[in-house]
Amino acid sequence: MKLSGEFIFDGNRDEVWELLRDPDELAKALPGTQSLSKVSDNQYTGKMNVRLGPVSGMFSGKITISDEVPPESYTMQVDGRGAPGFVKGTGAIQLMEQPDNKTLMKYSGDVQIGGRLAGVGQRLVESVSKSMVKQGLETLNMALQAKHAPPPSATAPEARSPEPPPAYTPPSEMKFAMGVAKDLTTEFFSSTDRNVWLTVGVVLVSFALGYCFGQKRRGG
Amino acid sequence: MTAKYVGQPVKRNEDPRLLTGQALFVDDVHLPDMLHAAFLRSDYAHARILSIDTTAAKEMPGVVAVYTAEDLGDFWQPSPMIVQPPPTLEDIVFNPRPQIPLAKDMVRHIGDPVAVVIAESRYIAEDAAEQIWVDYEPLEVVTDIEKALEPDSPLVYEDLGTNLASHVRQEKGNYAAAAKKADLIIKRRMVIDRGAAAAMENRGIVVDWDAKTQHMTMWNTTQAPIPIRNGLAATLGLSEHQVRVIAPFVGGGFGPKIMLLQPEEVLLPWAAMRLCRPIKWIEDRRENFLGTTQERGQIHAVEAAFSKDGKILGLKDIFLHDTGAYNPYGLTIPLNTQTHSMGVYDVPNFYTEFKVVFTNKMIVTPVRGAGRPQGIFLVERMMDLAAKELGIDPVEIRRRNLIPADAFPVHHSIIGQDFIEAIYDSGNFQPLVEKARLLIGYDKFVTEEQPKLRAAGKHIGIGLAPFVESTGVGPYEGARITVESSGKVNLVTGVGTQGQSHFTSFAQIAAEQLGVAVQDVEVTTGDTDQFHWGTGTFASRGAVVAGNAIFAAAKRVRAKILAKASEVLDAPEEELELKDGAIRIADIPEKSISLGELAMLANPLRGAVEPGTEPGLEATEYFGPKYGTTASGVAAMIVEVDPDTMLIDIKKFVIAHDCGTVINPMVVDGQIHGGVSMGIGHSFYEQLIYDENGQLLNASFMDYLVPRSTDMPPSIEIAHQETKSPLNPMGSKGVGEAGAIPIPAVLAQALENALNIDGLELLEMPLSPGRLFELAQAAKNRD
Repeated sequence: MKLSGEFIFDGNRDEVWELLRDPDELAKALPGTQSLSKVSDNQYTGKMNVRLGPVSGMFSGKITISDEVPPESYTMQVDGRGAPGFVKGTGAIQLMEQPDNKTLMKYSGDVQIGGRLAGVGQRLVESVSKSMVKQGLETLNMALQAKHAPPPSATAPEARSPEPPPAYTPPSEMKFAMGVAKDLTTEFFSSTDRNVWLTVGVVLVSFALGYCFGQKRRGG
Repeated sequence: MTAKYVGQPVKRNEDPRLLTGQALFVDDVHLPDMLHAAFLRSDYAHARILSIDTTAAKEMPGVVAVYTAEDLGDFWQPSPMIVQPPPTLEDIVFNPRPQIPLAKDMVRHIGDPVAVVIAESRYIAEDAAEQIWVDYEPLEVVTDIEKALEPDSPLVYEDLGTNLASHVRQEKGNYAAAAKKADLIIKRRMVIDRGAAAAMENRGIVVDWDAKTQHMTMWNTTQAPIPIRNGLAATLGLSEHQVRVIAPFVGGGFGPKIMLLQPEEVLLPWAAMRLCRPIKWIEDRRENFLGTTQERGQIHAVEAAFSKDGKILGLKDIFLHDTGAYNPYGLTIPLNTQTHSMGVYDVPNFYTEFKVVFTNKMIVTPVRGAGRPQGIFLVERMMDLAAKELGIDPVEIRRRNLIPADAFPVHHSIIGQDFIEAIYDSGNFQPLVEKARLLIGYDKFVTEEQPKLRAAGKHIGIGLAPFVESTGVGPYEGARITVESSGKVNLVTGVGTQGQSHFTSFAQIAAEQLGVAVQDVEVTTGDTDQFHWGTGTFASRGAVVAGNAIFAAAKRVRAKILAKASEVLDAPEEELELKDGAIRIADIPEKSISLGELAMLANPLRGAVEPGTEPGLEATEYFGPKYGTTASGVAAMIVEVDPDTMLIDIKKFVIAHDCGTVINPMVVDGQIHGGVSMGIGHSFYEQLIYDENGQLLNASFMDYLVPRSTDMPPSIEIAHQETKSPLNPMGSKGVGEAGAIPIPAVLAQALENALNIDGLELLEMPLSPGRLFELAQAAKNRD
């Protein structure tokens, strides 16, 4: 499966670079991540709970960074395995400076999945992966915006900027699942009858919630 | 006069039990202290196993044992090949690669079993299986059978140096010479992809080793209990009489359950003997997609030579056959394809060649049809193409080529799955074609209805395709019939039952001979302690081979009854009649004796039995045909296609069918209904999709579409014709696979006719709405 896209960060390239290489921030941006730690300059290992339609489970894996040209580009190799199967992928990431202190990210990658993830989750893989990437990047961007925002106590009410940056709290796993469900419905029903859209949206969100709670119950 | 049961639509003996939940299926077996098994199966289609760590799994509470190939020691042996290639085939390549109990150093398809966990519950077993860590080194994967034979292809077996599993060439007549005289040569590539058997009940095993009696009992969803008993005894070092295999009620076989000594079947008895506790394993649905064998998967390069008046002069077919990662079932499927590629036609010259190819996919073994639908598809498609080219009506071109009724037996000089030359023993195809044509209303549809419907914007078309089905192959089956002192009849046979109404059809054969009610014949199938000679339920052979053994045994018991009754009633045998469970003198009905009383007299507690006689009213007989008998039929359908969605609606479906002597027409109809639904599934809904990495992408019923009742035609009209087989005393032929065989051919023909797009040729199966749309667009764009 090929994944590619662009994203604009509200920050300069050095900041974005730093953010992308910070395991704590990355872990926060991808809910389900139980741990992510840097084991060497170009290697991270971690554990992540992945949920794909009816398939869910813990993955452990490693990320290897290579061809690094700070702060412009790097390639990333992901190798994850868990009870529900395996994920293997490579991705190329490129950062380009933009006017107004913004940074354009271009990413492209090739992901191979196997096991139950492929056998049962196949039809959701592409949409869920895209959505996860999108939401992850949005969360990272929020973290960036939060850094830029002055601390609330120091700001006089009258001096408040017309559009305050949103307060940054990393999304919970459930919120993330809801986001994925919403993205899925948007993708499937962007141009069709609104009632259908709503019904399916509700169904999918309940589905996602069900899995969250189901997961918790089983965990407990 | 004895009541006539053969040929009657007798209601099924087994239904009251099945419908009230009183029938035993494997999962109904609950034994004290029973453990549960779960298998860890490979997520990789091709990988080297570097190491396996079972520590965490073994430490889980409730886990009793975890076994990998290494733990099996000397017990780890490849299973024997189930089917060897026919020794009669000359100059062939055959590289046997049988199944193995657990992958040792290499996994070769997703689902290849790597370890087994035995635990107190299935939940624990599955959770523990997830805790096993296998260090894999993923290898290059080969899934495409054409690429697999290219020199730089990854190899499923490095030691072979090739992915070629087998290479066979056969010829009848001389195709090349025939082609030289032809007015028309048609060449096409045809592709038939994989589908699942998707039986309602998945595979399952319960095995119990009783150390104190040194006896093993196994309940198994198998189609072949006796060979499994014998194989298990050999594998485990037991006497055959120490092993009892019971195939109880089974919810559908369709082929894959004929597989013997599969990993689960070998490992669980071994584990049960070590642990001295019973073990249950029930395959779940997802596991069924990954762990149960599949079929179809062929690519054909077909060539046909015709004269300008539409006579087929010759056929040439070179094809690749996908066997998956192992080839335990030998050449049965591609040989069936070869022997069915001439269909119902007089094809004087036929060159056929196949290469069997190893791939990193599930093993291919027979699934209802077993190579036959492929052969019928290619010859029927050629008939359609020739009809179009030559401007001959599709039914007419078929009529011109039918084997005439006086030509039987027809020798094809192509060796088949039963090791001997394919011979059509009997048949009468012309009236079958006429029956189907009339039933579907062919002429009226084509001349009146279709033009009107087309004018109204409907895309509706018709198709008609004849087929043959080789059935009832040897080697043999047996049966024992006993009249009990209650007057009821006990009938046992070795074949297993997976829903074929054996408890009724077999009872009908015996009841007719013995003059008892069908309900008074108690049938036992598939229990090796009851009967331990036989092979199994496959190749549409139950009614033919076991049926005729039952017929023979019943005749012998009848003879014993008459002899004994003649003595007791003091009347010549010719004057006796068997009726309503009693024997009486025909002219003096009040002088009679019940069967039960006679059975008691035949098995006295005191006194002397005549030397040279046997006690009781019992007989055991066997039947083995010289070769398989050929059933035949003609299917026709009218189908409407929605040109926007490419969804199809089969408006009318008829089939004229000839399986020789019909034992129970209702049961034959049921077999055809089931076959037709499977054929429709494998032609338009069901397809197993593997990606280039060998991952099965639709391994669940969410994504793998089995047709629903709403996808079926509103009715299936069936006309029976009885051309009796000369190969067995009852004159019967098989019907188990019939319905599934012609559907790909007839659907393709009807869809082309419905869409009526210039240049649209449907040369692949299965289709789907999406694929049909693509093909239609491609044809339109070519214009």
